[in-house]
Amino acid sequence: MSLDPTELGYLLPYLILAVTGMLLVLAEAFYRSEDRSALASLTAVGALASAVASVVTYRQLGDGVRVPLLGDMLVADRTGCVLSALFAVTTAFAALATPAHQREHEWQCGEYYGVMLLSASGMVMLAQAWNLVTVFLGIETMSIGVYVMCAMRRSSRRGNEAAMKYFLIGAFATGFLMYGMALLYGAAGTSKLSALASGLAHTKNPGLVIAGGFMLIVAFGFKVAAVPFHMWAPDAYEGAPTPVTAFMAAAVKGAAIAAMIRVFGVALGGDVVPFGTLGWASPMVVIAAITITVGNITAVRQDNIKRMLAYSSISHAGVLLVGICALGLGSSTANTSLVYYLIAYSITTMGAFAIVAYVGSRGRERLLVDDWAGLGAQHPAVALAMTVLLLSFGGIPPTGGFFAKFYIFQAAMEVYDRQLLWLVVVGVINSAISIFYYLRIVTAMYFREANQPFVPTRSAGLMFVIIICPLLILELGVMPGWWLRLVG
Amino acid sequence: MHEGAFLIPVILALPILGAIFVMCTPKSETQLHRGLGLTFTLITFLVSLFILNPRFLNPREAGFQLVFDSEWIPGLGAHFKTGVDGISVFLVLLTTLLMPLTLLGTSKSIDRHVREFIAAMLVLETGMLGAFVALDLFLFYIFWEVMLIPMYLLIGIWGGQRRLYASIKFVIYTMVGSLLMLVAIFYVYIQGAAVLGGYTTDLERLLTVALPYNAQVWCFAAFALAFAIKVPLFPLHTWLPDAHVEAPTAGSVILAGVLLKFGIYGFLRFAMPLFPHGAAVWAPAISVLAVIGIIYGAFVAFAQDDVKKLVAYSSVSHLGFCALGVFALTSYGISGSIYAMLSHGLTTGGLFLGIGVLYERRHTRRLAEYGGIWKQMPIFSGLFLVIVMGSAGLPALSGFVGEFLTILGTFIAGDTLPRGYSIPSPRAMGALAATGVVLGAVYLLWMFQRVFFGKLDKAKNGKLEDLASHELATFIPLVIGIFLLGLFPRPLLAVMEPAVQKFTREFARRVVECDGPPHRYGAINCDANPRQQAEIQRNLDNLARGAAAVQQTINGNPGAGSGGPQ
Repeated sequence: MSLDPTELGYLLPYLILAVTGMLLVLAEAFYRSEDRSALASLTAVGALASAVASVVTYRQLGDGVRVPLLGDMLVADRTGCVLSALFAVTTAFAALATPAHQREHEWQCGEYYGVMLLSASGMVMLAQAWNLVTVFLGIETMSIGVYVMCAMRRSSRRGNEAAMKYFLIGAFATGFLMYGMALLYGAAGTSKLSALASGLAHTKNPGLVIAGGFMLIVAFGFKVAAVPFHMWAPDAYEGAPTPVTAFMAAAVKGAAIAAMIRVFGVALGGDVVPFGTLGWASPMVVIAAITITVGNITAVRQDNIKRMLAYSSISHAGVLLVGICALGLGSSTANTSLVYYLIAYSITTMGAFAIVAYVGSRGRERLLVDDWAGLGAQHPAVALAMTVLLLSFGGIPPTGGFFAKFYIFQAAMEVYDRQLLWLVVVGVINSAISIFYYLRIVTAMYFREANQPFVPTRSAGLMFVIIICPLLILELGVMPGWWLRLVG
Repeated sequence: MHEGAFLIPVILALPILGAIFVMCTPKSETQLHRGLGLTFTLITFLVSLFILNPRFLNPREAGFQLVFDSEWIPGLGAHFKTGVDGISVFLVLLTTLLMPLTLLGTSKSIDRHVREFIAAMLVLETGMLGAFVALDLFLFYIFWEVMLIPMYLLIGIWGGQRRLYASIKFVIYTMVGSLLMLVAIFYVYIQGAAVLGGYTTDLERLLTVALPYNAQVWCFAAFALAFAIKVPLFPLHTWLPDAHVEAPTAGSVILAGVLLKFGIYGFLRFAMPLFPHGAAVWAPAISVLAVIGIIYGAFVAFAQDDVKKLVAYSSVSHLGFCALGVFALTSYGISGSIYAMLSHGLTTGGLFLGIGVLYERRHTRRLAEYGGIWKQMPIFSGLFLVIVMGSAGLPALSGFVGEFLTILGTFIAGDTLPRGYSIPSPRAMGALAATGVVLGAVYLLWMFQRVFFGKLDKAKNGKLEDLASHELATFIPLVIGIFLLGLFPRPLLAVMEPAVQKFTREFARRVVECDGPPHRYGAINCDANPRQQAEIQRNLDNLARGAAAVQQTINGNPGAGSGGPQ
């Protein structure tokens, strides 16, 4: 591995995040004031700078151009740039939403921001990964940061429990990941994603490939919280501070999917490793169907909004897995549809959790659906924003969420495979089920009277996120063409 | 681009602009909100009348007119394509007419969140109009879903006691249907791309694709589920009474007056032309369900004590006629079905508005609570009588023409059905449907009698006041409309006729189209096959012969006169 100076430009999105993150950790050590909101602004600036760097890189790269970096460790291409920019922007949103929440719920600590950026640098590495080694490094860099962020609210027992669960299960998943990668390496003799496909196709030891593929499914299943590897997610999402939950649900899940796009789409996908023979896609189809269904049906039973959104995000992971299956089977639109879905889903999630953070304040988090009764009468604008976001989650036009689902399912149908056709049917039936619990929140907000006046958490950063996310989602839904061409 | 193409996008934009405008005004100015709502819907109505301008809409033209087409999502091949033909043009006008009348008639009954109410109604109007004029599957689906949310809010926020249950039930029912339709849309879209050589959701282009037989059966089933729930056909109707009873008057009027029509319209515009083989497979089941719905709806309506429920079940019965007429696949049946939808929009809208008038004054909908109202409210009673008679199908009023034509169309269907398409014993079904007309007269007149005649024995009814001026302004256009539709059906039927003829002709041609051997993408278009050409010709001859025979037997009958072959 050698560093070519011309490659540095392509690495900027990653380097900006990592360097700003380290500087922030240092800054915290010398920071006097009790109020850490200045650090949040710095975080947002750093993240946005990284996003700008991604955009610049994107503009330099042509359509379909892939520039391998650091000797096939990383790659610069349009998909990677768009996703890097998305993760950076999501990180910026999460940072903007944090200070008010820290103030209201008394968990001020400055390390948080540094850790957040370092974790984001792991995500960018995943978006650009081109080697099993960088996939592993990216996942670990990202995850360790999130374990720490989860536990930041030291006074909260639930937060500690959530962090512990998340950490133990995450570590367990890492074991699977490492083992699966080792097996694949053993079978193919290379860890380069671009070379793995042909290596696996000509392997003398197909058993290793099957076992390795399964290990990877399990490991990524843990990371994206696919059923039956989802048990940690509701507890972790509920226990973590709301901005961290948003970060976990939007960016961390997105980065894991980005890694899957690389691993399953490039290394294991296409004609070289077809459906059935080496067989990662069949179990993935089953997992996707179960994930969508279980996530939705369990969400119907939840009274706590954070838990409900956690289960909803599980079901969304299932839909994303549908896209991964389609990608692996060679659907030409799957890549675009996954990227679009990640954009729509991340924005929706950030917005929704920002509103959850907004509604509660000191001493009363207002996490139960019943606590939201009457929000529509007292804060009509925020209730409207939440309604738009929930409709987007449910996939009702004219929101980005509708279009995202539409495009993923279309990509899956395009493969013309019977299993995927059934998966799409399961997916759309579940969309109807999901409407039920999303509308429960809308029902509470608009159709019922408030039992207590709302005392929302107010801050400029939080309001910015709450305003910008629904607008973006509507824009994504009404004018999806521009977004689709990003990686098309 | 057609002449006047800009008109339809303008009509679509006006209500949504109104909604944005209303939301920008201060919350407390409820009079202003009502005024704005009324103004915007009235302007929309007046602008929509321009569609009838002969420069824009040629009544002899069978295809789509005033077509506006602009690329919308290039990557998907989705277009913003709108237009009308004889099938949809009057449904558009019905929608734009009912909206201002509804807002006017219910202006006093909504007193909470007036601004949001007006905005929801305006968004709903755009959704409904859009779904009627969309000529792109994707655009249609978007508008179809856009209708759902305002209606859900209307029921849920301004509804009655059990509004939570009713609103969720409404949404879930509709969503289940429409999502399966979405899967079928995917399928058509992907198959279409394989045949046409590029992704498109343009309806007219997709209509040139012959889909494999099995796929048609499944896709039609998926579309039919969505539309049958909306109609609603017999076993899928259970959401309707709940939604109607719990919805505020305005919601009920729009639900019955316009929303239910999307079921029938969807069959005519999308399901049957896209999947003729599928339609042929499912037609017997659907037409039998329609007849069951006619009779079942009538009997259940008869048993109701709640007036709103009675009218809700009467809708099940009336829409059964429309479904039957469509699946009889004669030009009478289809014209009659469209006509019956227009009539049903006016009469049932009027019935719900009338119930709203009573409910506002007495706060009950139980039949037993009324009696002898005529003495207190003579003007209202007289106008309501016309509406009831129109709904019951009294000759010279609007209901008669539509019901007569659908029953006639069903009765003669056996003579003109194209090869490969049949419905079980059309004559018996026509006869059974005719009993539905009798039953309809029974329960409607019985209802009228219990409310308006008899002794004025409830003390509270003694203080009822007759219609206020804004209510009069609501009912009089409706009553005039009911008379006009009943007395002069010819001009409307003449505009529908070319489009309906084209529909039956195309259907007869395509229902014998071959579906090709299975291959990776499954679909081939095989117009050139001589054996099939001959069969198509036979179907067309058969169709023309049957129509001519009927023309002879019923010559001189109003309404039927324009039903012959061109």
